[in-house]
Amino acid sequence: MNQNAVLTIENLKKHFPLRKGLFAALLKGERSHLRAVDNINFSLGKKEILGFVGESGCGKSTMSRTILQLLEPTGGKIYFKGTRVDTLSRKQFKPFRKKMQMIFQDPFGSLNPRRTVSEILRQTIKIHNLAKDRPAEDALIKKTLEEVGLNPVEEYWNKYPQLLSGGQLQRVSIGRVLVLQPELVIADESVSMLDVSVRIGILDLLFKMRDKHGISFIYITHDLVTARYICDRIAIMYLGNIVEIGPTEEIINHPRHPYTQALITAVPVPDPTAKVPELPIKGYVPVAPEDTIRGCSFALRCPYGKKNCRSEKPQMIRVGDEHFASCLLIDGSISID
Amino acid sequence: MALIEVENLKIYFMTRRGPAKAVDDIGFSIEKNKTLGLIGESGCGKTTTAMSLMKFIKPPGRIVGGSIRFMGNDIVPMTDEQIRQLRGKEISIVRQEAQNALNPVLTIGKQITEMILEHESVTKKTALARAKKQLNLVGISDQRITNFPHEFSGGMKQRAMAAIATACNPKFLILDEPTTGLDVVVQRQILEMLRNLKKELNLTAVFISHDLSVVAETCDRVAVMYGGKIMEESDTVSLYQNPLHPYSKALIGAYPSLKGERRQLKSIPGGPPSLIDPPPGCRFTPRCELAQSICSQEEPVLKTIDGRRIACHMVK
Repeated sequence: MNQNAVLTIENLKKHFPLRKGLFAALLKGERSHLRAVDNINFSLGKKEILGFVGESGCGKSTMSRTILQLLEPTGGKIYFKGTRVDTLSRKQFKPFRKKMQMIFQDPFGSLNPRRTVSEILRQTIKIHNLAKDRPAEDALIKKTLEEVGLNPVEEYWNKYPQLLSGGQLQRVSIGRVLVLQPELVIADESVSMLDVSVRIGILDLLFKMRDKHGISFIYITHDLVTARYICDRIAIMYLGNIVEIGPTEEIINHPRHPYTQALITAVPVPDPTAKVPELPIKGYVPVAPEDTIRGCSFALRCPYGKKNCRSEKPQMIRVGDEHFASCLLIDGSISID
Repeated sequence: MALIEVENLKIYFMTRRGPAKAVDDIGFSIEKNKTLGLIGESGCGKTTTAMSLMKFIKPPGRIVGGSIRFMGNDIVPMTDEQIRQLRGKEISIVRQEAQNALNPVLTIGKQITEMILEHESVTKKTALARAKKQLNLVGISDQRITNFPHEFSGGMKQRAMAAIATACNPKFLILDEPTTGLDVVVQRQILEMLRNLKKELNLTAVFISHDLSVVAETCDRVAVMYGGKIMEESDTVSLYQNPLHPYSKALIGAYPSLKGERRQLKSIPGGPPSLIDPPPGCRFTPRCELAQSICSQEEPVLKTIDGRRIACHMVK
């Protein structure tokens, strides 16, 4: 295990039991499961921004919730700065809660509409005992609002969320996280609901947080374009597995896994003279329970899919500097003919 | 010949603090078989403009001036009954969030035939056959005609919406963020389907999106809107390669791309203007890097330069 890593995930699994008919339940005792997260391994360095990209239903959000102990993992180990946290009790985990935080997608839904901006931050400060008295609380709120770019502070102090724009609300959400001085922040689709002109401002704020406070980020998104802008490394997810992981420019310019290649082809470019590419894959992400997939989970949609792909599980193999992919075509067990 | 011609259109929403000028004196026309893109930040009047083309403006909103001519006839003074004849038959819409636009208790087949039977005097049997054809056209197997919307995935719902919208062979289609909120792979499939539909049915369309890359791919001309006004209107290629208006420049400059070098991007400081009490002169002045004193005193008129229209004092 990498000792310097902020977060190390080993064989993380989260399966959800599926409901079954009465007869099936009586005849066969076992229930089938949906493998939302199926055997994930990675580690996140200090001040690193690691992006997780995939289509809806690939397990990105379930993974982040499991890492933060909002869901109990089915299996695997989660280490935060060398301490195993998935076996801790709720009470033992509380000091870690402060260090591992999350910024959600919908700022309109994640802020209490009946509290003003300053009250929202004050609540967080009180819960975690971050200030000794009221003036200290005020000073901390002021400092935080300034830091997330809500200047002049007085203008926002007594405002309710409904009076703010999406970008401003997202800054309040970020302030609420920042006030805790976290070391790991999971940003779950944090800019997808915002206008393009505002997005860059929020992403630059995340950069600032990383540089100034040394925060590491897990950036979850379905948008490869913003992921390219902000991430140091990108992991591509498909049906609960990481299919490819590597440095951002490597993934964008030299994708090795057929799924990554398809995703990149599908992204439209802001250039009217560009030729519209043909999409190599068909269909959509299947909702498949445990027993239907034995081999590679992408085999059904893969343009190069072979018989072997459905029976043999591909392993992660190294294809470049820090660049890994899991595909039977790459490791040479089967070839395109 | 222009299929749609909009002139001096003004749509105000009457609020307690005075009228909010969501669309304020805009004009454009769309030639037959062409697609016009409307881009801009949230709250700039894109959707209001598009909705007005079907006269879908509900109180407190009101069309307070101007004309919208569809094949030569002004639809602004039309009665509800007259406009109802046009909706679905001649002008149709595909919206964002198909899950909310479809009726959850009717099958897809029923929803398509309903549209056909409303506008044409055909038998139920013919309508059903046409509905099947529609489904095939948008890439759904006709065996799923008895399915309910909840049995469809997000992308399929959007396809079903398009099948309903084009059931009566309309001439004009309003596409209001049809791919927003979909995954890239599904988005690519929907864009492909829309391109097919447009070719098969000879459609003219208006395409609203805040995704500049989708607009680049689908539109022939693009109008950039800001604070209820058109700031620049041009053919797509010249706009993307050489934006003239400072707002268009900023908008395109803030847009990241997957192709080419990874570049530094700049967000546009500030937010969209108040529509009730807009800044004097040019509405973009408070956020504009090039603003001079004239900009906050005089409103720039849309002038035509080389087939492009620009409203800016600084562009000569």
